[in-house]
Amino acid sequence: MWMTVIDGITMAALLFIIAVGLNLSFALLRVANLAHGALYLFGAYVGYSVMSYTESWLLAIVVGGLATALLALLLEFFLLRKVRGDNLRETLVTLSVAIILADVMIVIWGGSPMSIPYPDLLQGPLIMGDVIVPKLSLFILGFAIVIGTLLWMLLNKTKIGMIIRAGVDDYEMVAALGTNIRLVFTSMFVLAGFLAGIVGVVGGSHLIVSPEEDWRILTYALLIIILGGMGSFGGSVVAALIMGMIYSFGSLYVPEFQLFLMFTPVALVLIFKPKGLFGRGLE
Amino acid sequence: MNQISKWIIYTIVALFLLAVPFIMSEFFTTMMVRVLYFSLMAVAFAFLASQIGLVSLAIPAFLGLSGYTIAILETREIMFFPYSAMAAIVVVLFVSAVFGIFANRSKGIYFIMLTLILGQIIWAVARQWASVTNGVNGLIGISTPDAMQFNVFGANVGFYYVILFTFVLIVWAVLALTRSSFGMKLKGIRESESRMIMLGYRVSRLKWVAFVISSLVAGIAGVFFVYFVGVMHPSAIDLDSSAMVLIAGIFGGVYSIIGAVLGMSIVQTLEVVLNAYTQRYLIIIGIMFLLVVIYAPKGLMGLIYKNKYMKSLYDKWYKGRKDS
Repeated sequence: MWMTVIDGITMAALLFIIAVGLNLSFALLRVANLAHGALYLFGAYVGYSVMSYTESWLLAIVVGGLATALLALLLEFFLLRKVRGDNLRETLVTLSVAIILADVMIVIWGGSPMSIPYPDLLQGPLIMGDVIVPKLSLFILGFAIVIGTLLWMLLNKTKIGMIIRAGVDDYEMVAALGTNIRLVFTSMFVLAGFLAGIVGVVGGSHLIVSPEEDWRILTYALLIIILGGMGSFGGSVVAALIMGMIYSFGSLYVPEFQLFLMFTPVALVLIFKPKGLFGRGLE
Repeated sequence: MNQISKWIIYTIVALFLLAVPFIMSEFFTTMMVRVLYFSLMAVAFAFLASQIGLVSLAIPAFLGLSGYTIAILETREIMFFPYSAMAAIVVVLFVSAVFGIFANRSKGIYFIMLTLILGQIIWAVARQWASVTNGVNGLIGISTPDAMQFNVFGANVGFYYVILFTFVLIVWAVLALTRSSFGMKLKGIRESESRMIMLGYRVSRLKWVAFVISSLVAGIAGVFFVYFVGVMHPSAIDLDSSAMVLIAGIFGGVYSIIGAVLGMSIVQTLEVVLNAYTQRYLIIIGIMFLLVVIYAPKGLMGLIYKNKYMKSLYDKWYKGRKDS
């Protein structure tokens, strides 16, 4: 029972970092970045390579994040800017990039599932009273809390965050007031890519790294965004927790309908509150 | 181009299509069947995209639904053709009716995301519900019904003819639908949803009906798919197939149903040709898709419609007026 709850929280922590980056870039750029799952997987594979060369997990996380951020920069700068303003074409560009990237990754790293080894320090369980917690789960939870706090501070306590929040509400007005909104767009997209990359390495240690994992992760992230509401930070936290719990309890009790169950809250939300639990309804 | 030459061209095309099993190789005929059932999916996609401007990624899910229904019923010997096919269509109608309610609550990119999720759910059920769908191993051993296996002049052309006639009938019906008052209302929704609501049309019901029609076409494609291939596997309905339908639709031009058929023929031909050289042909198709999206957003039909005669045809079919 406890084990399942902990598993759920761990999954929720991972999904939160993935979804929050996607959510922010989505709310700001109005681009449903369908390449986000592929970016996650790319980060995981880069992390795997760095890990097998240098044996340093922290370096793997940093390099995985930076490589993915660079890829996101290229995607935004050379492709998305060409079709800026047309939501459908922007989404199709990200989809084609996702397809190309998925196949390129199979060419480079092969199709067999692998797992990123993580340091001995995080191996094994931690026993607290009658609760047994894997150290890696604890690390992932802490990791998500740190990143969540940093992001929250960036959004709510800094001038950059003010511009971003204003951009979410009305980016044309922000641009008219003299902010270089294109630079903000690019940096948010790169930040989202960086988050996808680092969580790719961490998630690759906890879960498996294999082709098709990109679409699975993307589906979870999209479910969380729709459930929590577009552009809502708190919504992402709550929705990630709900999804993580359904994920772990579903795989324990009804493994055959686990993903189907994950859809239920989304269906309910769409019926009763189409903007999501905490969404302000961006259009 | 006058009426007579138009009919001459139609007759030549029809005769050629009918003669394919006799004058072309078996490989070509097989390829034609494959293109035809995939084109039905492209038609389903293009109907939604061109009429209401909704880009759906859930089209292969409905192919999967009807395919899996037939496969499950026949491998467990519960029902056989034609009852299994009827059951499959009923299942498709039911599920698309439910999905349509959700899908109606969104538009634009939200619709893409939602249909992506809906499609992934069907895929996940097909993959995870191992006791019924046999999971990743898939269901094998579905045989083509006798009704689709008649001979003409000693050649086994039954399947090809059945799918060809169904295909022509469906394309004709869908094109007729786009010119009907129903199609006009849908185009009104595409141009301005709020105005259509203001004019008193039941917009969400119209969208729902369009969604169900599109799913029905995809479901019929599934019937042919499962009887032709004889195997039902989750990979038939994964995101790569959704992307393939989308790519075909964009290649041909989002606002054209004929274009989608053309696009699907190109994509399928490319897939077979490239497959001979490399397993990773998706890279090439993906890059071509990217180039089309960035540099030729209206697709192939956009180029064809630059021709004046074709442009008038386009206006007649898709905008409902004879001269622009």
